Parts: sequence; structure tokens; C-alpha cells
Amino acid sequence: MRPILLSGHERALTQVKYNRDGDLIFSTAKDQHICAWYAHNGERLGTYHGHVGAIWSVDVDPTCTLLASGSADNTLRLWEVETGKLLHTWEFPTAVKRVEFSFDGSKVLGVTEKRMGHLGSIVVFDVDLDPKAEQTDERSLTIICDESKATVAGWSYLSKYIIAGHEDGSVSQYDAKTGDLLDNVPVHELNQPITDLQWDSDRYTFITASKDKTAKLISARNLDVLKTYPSDTPLNSAAITPNKDFVILGGGQAAMDVTTTAARQGKFEARFYHKIFEEEVGRVRGHFGPLNTIASDPTGKGYCSGGEDGYVRVHHFDAGYFNFYYEVERERMNKLAAEGASKK
Amino acid sequence: MATAVNPPKKHDWADDDDENEVSTDLPPPQTIQNKDSTMTTITWGYNDKNEKVKTTRRIRHTVRREVVNPRVAARKKLPKFGLSAKDSPGPVPDTTSIGENIIFVPSANWRKEAKDEKNDPNAQAMKDKLKDKKVKCRICSGEHFTARCPYKDTMAPIGETAAAEPGAGAITEDPAIALQGAPGAGKKGSYVPPALRGDRAGPGERMASKFGERDDSTTLRVTNVSEMAEEGELRDMFERFGRVTRVFLAKDRETGLAKGFAFVSFADRTDAVKACAKMDGFGFKHLILRVEFSKKTT
Repeated sequence: MRPILLSGHERALTQVKYNRDGDLIFSTAKDQHICAWYAHNGERLGTYHGHVGAIWSVDVDPTCTLLASGSADNTLRLWEVETGKLLHTWEFPTAVKRVEFSFDGSKVLGVTEKRMGHLGSIVVFDVDLDPKAEQTDERSLTIICDESKATVAGWSYLSKYIIAGHEDGSVSQYDAKTGDLLDNVPVHELNQPITDLQWDSDRYTFITASKDKTAKLISARNLDVLKTYPSDTPLNSAAITPNKDFVILGGGQAAMDVTTTAARQGKFEARFYHKIFEEEVGRVRGHFGPLNTIASDPTGKGYCSGGEDGYVRVHHFDAGYFNFYYEVERERMNKLAAEGASKK
Repeated sequence: MATAVNPPKKHDWADDDDENEVSTDLPPPQTIQNKDSTMTTITWGYNDKNEKVKTTRRIRHTVRREVVNPRVAARKKLPKFGLSAKDSPGPVPDTTSIGENIIFVPSANWRKEAKDEKNDPNAQAMKDKLKDKKVKCRICSGEHFTARCPYKDTMAPIGETAAAEPGAGAITEDPAIALQGAPGAGKKGSYVPPALRGDRAGPGERMASKFGERDDSTTLRVTNVSEMAEEGELRDMFERFGRVTRVFLAKDRETGLAKGFAFVSFADRTDAVKACAKMDGFGFKHLILRVEFSKKTT
């Protein structure tokens, strides 16, 4: 496969995201604009200007009309996807590190940073998906994280829970309606921050990536750790691929840590693990710096990764990827096919 | 009335365009529609050696239809905005480029394969190199690391005694004595100048003198000698105390004037002592002599 290199940013990437149809990619970096790209050929559709700080996070609503972004300029902004127009700005006392639309797009959550005496919090706003509508300034929910600040958060299936990953390596489950803390499980090593949390296509399970060099597949219902994917480098991002049972992990030695750690190699590769067998099945190299963010195409045709080197690399999988099955998987498929034929 | 007559239009060399001239004798490019839905284009040109080159390309255009969601299709026609507002349709090379081909085929035993590959060039070579090497203790030559040697505290490493032995060799049998005789050699790793190394019996050999070995115990050094002094005058002065074997007055090679110091050797040391006592502070040619026993030049 020949990856498409997108060089629309001058600084390190912070997040990349596909829209639900998989035809657009949104990327944010520490420079102050968001880029929208066509996934099939890497053409840039446009840029969104208005933030005056590094942009940490971006998300697009399921109908692909609105775009939410969280930035170090202490704002959460809402944009019109197709024109790049700024629709609304919510202001906070601290930076917004993570934004995510609920599965139906009716709500957006933002994770705010713990700084200057303000505790980290998760705030929720109701969103009107009509670009012409006036958005409300009133928070529908505020969750204060007084023990350890939240670094990532997301909406579970049916928007039932808000799942948050914390700086101390634990995962919390909050009731999405009341904001009550239902459960908190230390899944990763103590004080190894969770760097990413991404959902399976049905949002029943999610994967967390942590600086403790592991990624874990966790059930959203009861926070059971289903699978663990160990690697040899601190991880910055993890994604679950639809259609095929893989997870993609990305990370690498951060430049500032290279002198203080024993690892000499960069390990700037995307690692593919089999989701069920927890076994590494391959790597994709290409970035010159650690991978900060990975997103998998909701249609299952590819994935893209954003690195500290300022590039987004969009990959479209070859036939070898789609034809790969473990022997047991193949046997099961053959058996099912035979059963189906005999029934007819 | 003088009218400005336009001169016939001069040929301007800047207008020369030899490519235009050349292209005139080239046939025009041709495009032929083939029966098997391919197109053949024939173009003509010149190569570096000014030879006519005919290029024939057969191109097959295939239209690949992809059915997409109407929303997706609608989005493909969106006008560009922001920094891309002025971009032409299609990917712009400023922001989009194609990377080199990456072969990515998932495989169940990927990890094992990768490890073998890693081992092959480096680790294997190292293994081969160390194949016939054995671990040998520096203390007892046993097959273990020196740090693990049972005699570590009671015996010195072989290498150190061996280094001390050659010099001390014939004199002492016991390496411990040789080590003691070598100051500084006891401390491992510190530099010992060659003169102080224990492998030498005494001070190093002297450079052979021109006059052979000389006993300096009867030689006086006379300084603050006048420039006008002569060796004969000095000899006369010092003869009074005993037999003088040698008088040396340092003289400048070019001017012939005395440099201001001299050496006087006596046959007998008692004479020399007497002369040293009497002549020190003696006034000679407006200057007061200073006489002392000459120091050994080491």
C-alpha cells in the first residue's frame, strides 16, 4: 500500500478523526487550525480558523454537519463542517483536552484540564445539529474529577455511560444522565496516564492506550478488562478496526524522554494486534516521530495516523490485509458456510 | 522636412527560438483510437544527441465506478474553504503527497519472523565470533569469570604479576617482592614514569660523556667571572691551592668573551675544599667571584 501523506500542519498532530461515512478526515495539531481532508485521495477540503491556542481534540457529529474542537485557548468551539464557519464558542477557565459527540450527536462532552486551582472536569452540552440554530450556553451536566484528573472520555452505547480515562491509570464509569460515579477500576499501572480511549463500532467495548506500554480492551458495561495488548513502547493511541478483528496501537519514545530512558530505538511504528488472540500480526512504519494519534476508517478500508513529525499518513489496506485469517477463524468460516449451504 | 525613415526591421537574436525551427521538421503528434478500447499516441522529439525519437504510448482508460452514499457524493462537490480556498480541484502537491510503498501483510507468526530477521545479520555474526572463545579467569585460569573466582581475595590476577616479572625477572623469584620494589605499581592502573618503574635495577644509564666518566666531587664552579678573564689567569689563581687538572671557562663562540662562569677541577679533594673556602668572595677584575662545589648534573 502507498500511504498518502498530508502535510497541512506545521506542528505535532494531536488527533485525527474520520467522520462516520469514512470519507472525510479531520486533523488537529498544536498549530491553531483544524484541517478537513478527503480520505480517498488526500485532497484538503478546507481549514477551520479561530482558535488561538494548540488544539487538543476534534470530533464530528454522526451526520457530518457540525465539528467540535477543544483547545488550549480554554474554549470548546463548534464549526460548520461544510463551510468552515465558526458557530459557537464555549469558554472555560482551563484548556479543553478532549471532545466527543454522543452516538446520536445530541450531546457533546468536553474534558477540561486541571490547572490554576481548577479541578479537572467533564462538561456536557446539548447540541442542536442544525447549523443555523442558536446553541445553548447552559451545561446539561458537569462531572468534577477530584481524585485524579480525566485525560480522555467518551460516550458508551446508547449514551448510557460516560467512560473516562484518568491520569493515574484508572478508568471511571459515570452515569451519563446524572453524572454519578458508578465505578472506578485501576486497569493500567498506577500513575501511568491513559492517553487514548476509542470505541468499537457498537460502543460496547473500548480500547485504552497508556504510557505503561499496554493497551486494554475493556467492556463499557462493567469495566472488565477483556484483552491486554502488551507492547515495548509507551503508547499514545489505540484504535479498533471495524470488519476485521484487529487493534492498531501507536506510540514511541517521546523526544523529551529519549535521553532519560534506556530504549534507544524510536519504535515509531503502528502495531497491529489481533483483537482476540492478543498477538502482534504486523507493523507499519513511516513516521519520523512518535505516533500521537490513530484513527481507523469506519468502513474498514484503511486507517490514518498522525505523528509528532507533523504528518498525517492515510493508509488504504491491500488485499493481504483483508485475506488474512488465523487458521481457526478460517475453519469456523468454512464450517458456517457449509452449514448455510446444507440448510438450503 | 526630414522624415524618420523606419529602418528595415532588424533580426533580434533574442527572438531566436531554435526549438521552434527544429520542431517544424517533426511530424505532429498523433492519437489513434484502437479497436480494443485503447488509445495510441505517437509523439516525436529529440534526445540529448540530437537524434529524432519516436515515442509510442498505448493507454487504456478504465472508468471505475464506485457506489457511495449520496451524502458522500454530495460532499465530494463541496467548494474548498479556509487555507484551501484557492486550491485547484484535486489533491494539491503542497499538502498532499504519496509516500513510498509499504508492504504490510499481517501474519500470525510475525513476531517470530521479525526476530529471526533481526538475529541473522548481527547476533549470528557475534555468535560465530565468540564460538571458539572460552571464559577464562584472570586469577586462576579456570573457566569462570574473574569476579566469580573462589581465589579472588587471596590471589592477585595473573596479568599483574606477569607484568612485574620481566624486569625483576632475574633478580627476584617472588613476584610479591618485585611488586613492593616498584612504587606505584601496586596501585593498579596509575601511570608510573619509566624511570621509577620497578623493572629497572637503579637509575638509568648515563649518557656517555665525551671525556669518559668524571668524578665531579673535586670540581668547583666559579661564577661571576669577568668577561675579560682567561683560562690561564684562572689556572694561575687556583694553582696556589693544589694541582689543577682542568680549567674550563665558558666562552661565547662568536665574540670570544667569557660568559661569566668556569669550572676548575683539582686532583685532590682537600685542595678543592681549601680553594673553595679561600676563593669565594675573591675580587677579580672588579668583580667578586663566587665559588662553590659544582652540583651533579642528573
